[in-house]
Amino acid sequence: MRKWIARLAVLGVALLMAGQGQVAHAQEPAAGKKVLRVGATQAVDSMNPFLAVRLVSTSIHRWMYGFLTVPDSKTLQPSPDLAESWTSSDDGLTWTFKIRQAKWSDGQPITADDAAWTLNKIMTDDAAKTANGPAVENYESVTANGQDLVIKLKAPQASILENPIPIMPKHVWEKVTDLANYEADTYPTVSSGPYIAVEHKKDQYVKLQANPNYWRGKPKIDELQVIFYDNPQAAIAGLKKGDIDLIGRLAPPEFQAIQNDPNIVAWNNQGRRAAYLEVNPGATTTDNKPVGDGHPALKDVKVRQALHYAIDKQKLVDEVQSGLAKPADGSIVPPMYKDFFWEATGDTKVTYDPAKANKILDDAGYKKGADGVRTMPDGKKKLEFRFTIHADTPIEDKLGEYLTGFFKEIGVTLTTVKLDSSKFSEETGVTGNYDIAISGWSVNPDPEEVLATHLCSRRPTPKGEGGGTESFYCDPTFEKLYQEQLKELDRTKRADLIKQMQERLYTEAPIIAIYYTNDLEGYRKDRITSITSIPEENGLLYGGSGYWPFYTVDTVAAPAGGSASGGGSNTGLILGVVGGVVVLGLVAFLVTRRRKSAADERE
Amino acid sequence: MTAPLEAAEPAAVQAAAGPGDERPTHRGTLQYALSKAGGALFSIAMVIIGTFFVFRLLPGDPVRNLAQGRNMTPTQLALERHRLGLDKPMLDQFVDFVGKTLRFDLGTSYEYKRPVLDLIGERLGPTLLLAGVGLVIAVSLGLWQGTRAGWRHNSRFDRVSTGVSLVLWSVPTFWLGLLLLMVFGVGIGPIPGIFPTRGIESVDAPDGFAYVLDVASHMVLPCLTLVAVVYAQYLLVMRSSLLEEVSQDYVTVARAKGLRDDEVRRRHAVPNALLPTVTLVFMRIGFVVGGAVTVETIYSWPGLGQLFYEAIRVPDFTLMQGTFMLITVAVILMNTLADVVYRMLDPRVRSA
Repeated sequence: MRKWIARLAVLGVALLMAGQGQVAHAQEPAAGKKVLRVGATQAVDSMNPFLAVRLVSTSIHRWMYGFLTVPDSKTLQPSPDLAESWTSSDDGLTWTFKIRQAKWSDGQPITADDAAWTLNKIMTDDAAKTANGPAVENYESVTANGQDLVIKLKAPQASILENPIPIMPKHVWEKVTDLANYEADTYPTVSSGPYIAVEHKKDQYVKLQANPNYWRGKPKIDELQVIFYDNPQAAIAGLKKGDIDLIGRLAPPEFQAIQNDPNIVAWNNQGRRAAYLEVNPGATTTDNKPVGDGHPALKDVKVRQALHYAIDKQKLVDEVQSGLAKPADGSIVPPMYKDFFWEATGDTKVTYDPAKANKILDDAGYKKGADGVRTMPDGKKKLEFRFTIHADTPIEDKLGEYLTGFFKEIGVTLTTVKLDSSKFSEETGVTGNYDIAISGWSVNPDPEEVLATHLCSRRPTPKGEGGGTESFYCDPTFEKLYQEQLKELDRTKRADLIKQMQERLYTEAPIIAIYYTNDLEGYRKDRITSITSIPEENGLLYGGSGYWPFYTVDTVAAPAGGSASGGGSNTGLILGVVGGVVVLGLVAFLVTRRRKSAADERE
Repeated sequence: MTAPLEAAEPAAVQAAAGPGDERPTHRGTLQYALSKAGGALFSIAMVIIGTFFVFRLLPGDPVRNLAQGRNMTPTQLALERHRLGLDKPMLDQFVDFVGKTLRFDLGTSYEYKRPVLDLIGERLGPTLLLAGVGLVIAVSLGLWQGTRAGWRHNSRFDRVSTGVSLVLWSVPTFWLGLLLLMVFGVGIGPIPGIFPTRGIESVDAPDGFAYVLDVASHMVLPCLTLVAVVYAQYLLVMRSSLLEEVSQDYVTVARAKGLRDDEVRRRHAVPNALLPTVTLVFMRIGFVVGGAVTVETIYSWPGLGQLFYEAIRVPDFTLMQGTFMLITVAVILMNTLADVVYRMLDPRVRSA
């Protein structure tokens, strides 16, 4: 028994020593060096911008490469990046971008040829389409002439200015023969943005250094590290301890864990994500044949509107999202995009009003039965809906409980169905086997992408191939508005059309926006001295558009080496070595003693 | 595939020849090993076939899932499907898969767009390191405590060690891992957070001996978690198997010879009691390759288990097939080895 305790003690000491050794011995950065360590709960899928699709990778690429345009730091309107100016022909089909006189990080000049090569590569090489194929689908041709880049379109497209494609250095990338299998793991990379990637340890971290040739000027910090955590709880632990300096995209429970930490700024601002309910409006395929087993009552716009009136969005925000969201008084575009956000007002506005919801249903002939549940006007089917959510998401579970309660008030039964994420997207996007489902979308500064998810053409094909619909919606008015906004080059007029589209979604209710989740992040105030969000007023840090927060960020410089940290490191090493020797000595002692005692017994 | 059939009969003949003659027994062992190897090969073949179809039963369209939350037109999706070979008939896909697998080509991951073999190669090292060290510690700790507990049945040591191990065994791994992370990673009250919160090494990892220390300190918490939740099985198996031996006649005889208690235990009872644990340990060695998904996830350990878990979510068929085959083949091989080793260790199995 005593021996056992002794051994445990030895083990403990050994572990302690090992720990001491590490803490003090992780290489101290050079004095005066400014490093920012960003935590991410996603690992990089690829450092090849033609292939990378994960948010963490596209963010890193935004910090590394120039784009034609970048959202303005205040207004979020497309503003000059690598393209310093642009013009379009009267028919809106020919666009000429003037590429800035600047240099790649290896000193080569940036030309329109680089941009033309990048775009043409995506248009002609199937592998290159992986990440940003849809962005060039409407391109007829792309040519370069000195610093002029000319893009000819097949049809007008106002959103061309928000081009999501990083411009790659032709002189480096044209040598790549097999793009589909190219990892882009030559470091340092040749880039044109504020940072250059210098190291990538797969599934562990990416290290970037300030680009001295950056045309806006070198960033204030010297090094930017993106460190991966497999789960958010560990990342929060890392932030609290100071292993990382900043982490974005937090869920409410994680955010609450850092809210009262004196060393951490808990960043709680309006976000870019809208959460909404998909209400099956009678799912069909692209040839207009019904598909799936959606409840027939939901085809009736009156029922969908009644459901909308029955939802207490403020309560959902308070109870489900812990107050860390904003009730949706609009549709899929969140209020942070001031230009495009449509807010319901006056008679159009749906406020929580169960009495009104009941009246709508009564008037439409959905009578309550003895059990309090309504039936269809033909008396055949009860209003019993399924609510499809993702498995293992406690927040959606809670949402389901509240909605069930709300709908019960109006004689509608709701049962929650949990599906794993792949099954979920299958049933709500392809087979149409749902009544009401939860969904959401992180909207870009140009909302065209999210609006397109409600087009007729996005419904599944008759062969059963999904097209990416978020609602199975197919409405001539909506389609017409969509086509019009494509052609409208006047930003104000286009915004007006886009608002009309949102109003249509709001009143027809194939989707019901419930809240806009806040952007929740956290950073250490003892490490980050200044950082500007995007947009500058009430904006986002990580996960925002463009590179502004990470270009403007400033951190505390590493203290002068030598005295404090140097001493610590030596102490650590000594302790480590001593610990190792002690452990080895003890092991040796135990072994010899055992031998000896065995020998005794043999005598 | 013919090996097991041929091998079966001579083995029986050997057994009938009886003990005493050394050479035939060795040949018997060889033949026995061959027949086991044949069986293993057959199992592996079945695994290859099964892998393909089982994973295709998973719901969800990988292309659709990879495109989730992104703007992708139907043409784009069709293109992607073609690129991944998912537009071909199932039978063609299967023939393709078997052909490639036999050439040790596991295909390209849908999500990472890199050869599966490379991905596995990168992750295998960290997994073997963590799970291997964890296994060694858990087995030593379990067997040692099991021996003590079984030998002094109902003693305080027995009650405490069995109790503690069972409690840890019942604790959810994720909870325990996070708890250790909070206490020893971040630090609570007077306890300093001396261990790193993630990964296998520091971002600015030092070189040389300091690097070894760096990795070792990163391993402490994951290893501790891994050991804490599994060592009970070795303890219990060892304990109960020793309990059975304690009442055997040969133990009484050994005691009657006047041997010390320690010697009776170490020389007589334990070697016999060890046999059931051999199977268990070998089986666990097989699973080492699979890593420990939960522990790897808590401590962001870049291992295989975590890779497999991610692959299921897509579903990334090629990556799943690759990792799954690796794991099952390892288990099959270890089981086969266990059979052979068992036979060598225990003469009773040989003659039976």
